[in-house]
Amino acid sequence: MSVVTPPSFVVAVDELTVARARAGDEAALEALFRRFETPVYSLARRLTRSPHDAEDVLQETFLEVVRSIRRFRGDGSLAGWIRKVAASKALMKLRQQGARGREEELFDDLAGHTSGDGPGGSPAPGTAAERVDLETALAQIPATARAVIWLHDVEGYSHDEIAAMAGRTASFSKSQLARAHARLRELLAPGVREGTCT
Amino acid sequence: MHLSLEELLAVRDGVAGAAAAGHAAACAECAAEVKRLAAVRAALAALPEERPSNDVWPAVVARAAGECERRVWRRAGWIAAGLAAMFTIAIGVRGALETYAEAKLARQTETLVAESQRLEKALRSSERRERVMSGRTAGTVVQLEDRIATIDAQLARAGNDRYPSQERIGLWQERVRLLDALVSVEKSGTTYLGL
Repeated sequence: MSVVTPPSFVVAVDELTVARARAGDEAALEALFRRFETPVYSLARRLTRSPHDAEDVLQETFLEVVRSIRRFRGDGSLAGWIRKVAASKALMKLRQQGARGREEELFDDLAGHTSGDGPGGSPAPGTAAERVDLETALAQIPATARAVIWLHDVEGYSHDEIAAMAGRTASFSKSQLARAHARLRELLAPGVREGTCT
Repeated sequence: MHLSLEELLAVRDGVAGAAAAGHAAACAECAAEVKRLAAVRAALAALPEERPSNDVWPAVVARAAGECERRVWRRAGWIAAGLAAMFTIAIGVRGALETYAEAKLARQTETLVAESQRLEKALRSSERRERVMSGRTAGTVVQLEDRIATIDAQLARAGNDRYPSQERIGLWQERVRLLDALVSVEKSGTTYLGL
């Protein structure tokens, strides 16, 4: 893993490149791939368990782009479309993993002591060391909650949009977001006592 | 009573109801928690990006090309099946004029044609499109399909000779060998075939 710029799908792509890519020009398609490779991989890496899974998602995402860019009409931004394809592929990968693993069961074990948590948390991470802690803590959150916190807090998707992509309800997305934050707080500052009502 | 985490997040995101928003404005602890949740969101967004350690583009190209080739190859498969059918008819009318050696060659070719058809059927029934192949595997598949298409073209050029020749048998043998390798790759994802 090498560290580069902050996550962002804000990538400038000129119309000529998009037009050439839509016409099937391989060089233009590769140019698109090179522009979006890092944000797509980063998104996939945050949502999936391993670099290998993230590379699978990157491969699936751009295979879909190559197949379907002719049908992309430019109603939304190209970056938004590619990001949505990537998020969908990553969620699909999670579903496949969920069918094989016990992660959701493990997550359910946490549910009991996270509901209704209020103030009294740890300081928010800010320094480099705290960022490392945050990254480690994020990796320890169960897959569904991690996907929701990333898609909502970082990628800016609404609960309705996440629900549509994941095939769940907006309430489910809200509850997963709360659980993810509760788990993060617990991991970043174990033993912090909850505040008392006033 | 403090706000729940869901309510605090709704306040942070500006989508809370009036009661929750009012409480957060009046309660120092809840206000501090809203601020902390906003800082966590900012810290998540500031996490560094990651790059894949492998170049995935060649695998995307190979898979996209493979899908295209498979469409072409399916059509070529029907041509090969037609050639096989014509050959079988020719064998059927060869009559008593054939020498023992010619009949032996014909039997060998019939066996190879049947094996070729069996392997093609196995390939058509596989669900390979759903699998994620490594770039190397996808490249191997494309390479094999290209070579099979070349053999089919050579068989088509050889025409519908009445008598089987050693050259035609050689082509059918090569076709069976390549199809067999393709089936192995599809099943196991093996990339080393000693080709």
